[in-house]
Amino acid sequence: MKRYDCLKLLAPLVGKDDLVVTNLGGVRVEWNALRPSDANYNVFTLGLCSSVGLGLALALPHRRVIVLDSDGSLLLNLPSLTTIADQSPGNLVHIVFDNKAYESAAGGPTHTANRADLARIGQGAGIKNAVRVDFLEDFQSAVEHALAAKEVFLVVARVEIGTAAVPPDPYDAMEVKYRFMRHLEKVEGRPLVTLRPPVARRAAPDSATPAVPSSPDPIP
Amino acid sequence: MDEVATDVITDALVNAGVDFVASLPEGNFQPLIGRIHADPRLTHVPLAREEEGVGICAGAYLGGKRPALLIMNAGFLDSTNALATTNLMGGIPLLLLIGYSGGFSEFLWMHSQIGAVTEPVLRAMGIVYEHADKLSDVEAQIFDAHMLTSITMRPVALLLNKECLR
Repeated sequence: MKRYDCLKLLAPLVGKDDLVVTNLGGVRVEWNALRPSDANYNVFTLGLCSSVGLGLALALPHRRVIVLDSDGSLLLNLPSLTTIADQSPGNLVHIVFDNKAYESAAGGPTHTANRADLARIGQGAGIKNAVRVDFLEDFQSAVEHALAAKEVFLVVARVEIGTAAVPPDPYDAMEVKYRFMRHLEKVEGRPLVTLRPPVARRAAPDSATPAVPSSPDPIP
Repeated sequence: MDEVATDVITDALVNAGVDFVASLPEGNFQPLIGRIHADPRLTHVPLAREEEGVGICAGAYLGGKRPALLIMNAGFLDSTNALATTNLMGGIPLLLLIGYSGGFSEFLWMHSQIGAVTEPVLRAMGIVYEHADKLSDVEAQIFDAHMLTSITMRPVALLLNKECLR
């Protein structure tokens, strides 16, 4: 099973306003090529995308958040699994493409090449809906099920090494942030970028002078 | 840490516009964490490691929350890669409330090295920071720190020494 074929199945299942958080590896360029959208956010700290996805899911409980992660990345941030389980946001679907290798770093093996099983680690962390899939049809049904459910899911897809020949991704971390936040401002209908502080002036100690709220910036 | 201190810090966070706190359980902070956890004005996420808190707070910020991360300096040092490549590189603000093990008023020898490297690392990263030494100053400092991180879209740190937390 190839990751790119999984992503091709996933793309039509992802709604226009679903938020997709990727890690910085091959899944980022493949996904951005298949679903170019300002609703994609790329995390440039290896391992942190599951945590960014959790924060986003908690901040916007009415929106679906899909995290596209990998084995090397998740192994760097295993505590995120217990924290995700602890919070269990029903709008979070965490998909891990496990190619048993640090593919972006010369392809050395990860621990999943030997004994580690990320789906079972997820279950042990307390994620009830943690499944491992090895075939495309199983990937599709697991993801369809996860997207329809109102519970947190971990889907670990065992894939071959290899990244599809897609164009390189042209955005740096700063541009990714602005595109993503400006998109969210439009669909949420409120300003999010903090060019102004949330409170313009603090209350005086005698509390005779109350705090002054900022006038929010217009949404571009 | 008494009730006055936990109330002052919690109210200061809310009055500054903070509505989301991630923290790791810690002896010096435990009453404050309990107070924050129970406060309906704040979303609180208990962590298993500080670095994941940097990611959770970044995601919360992107989604419109105004986060603060409550950790000790050992956890700050563990979080430097995430702070560099998510916050500094990506323009994501974060109010860091850092308990200062090994700083002034420390009494345990085993925190000496952590204390010695904390400020040099903050300076090396270009993170603006202030010392919070007195409870009477902390409300204004939290307000100003949160304002600065919001508008500069870079992390800003307050180093809470142990005297301030008592």
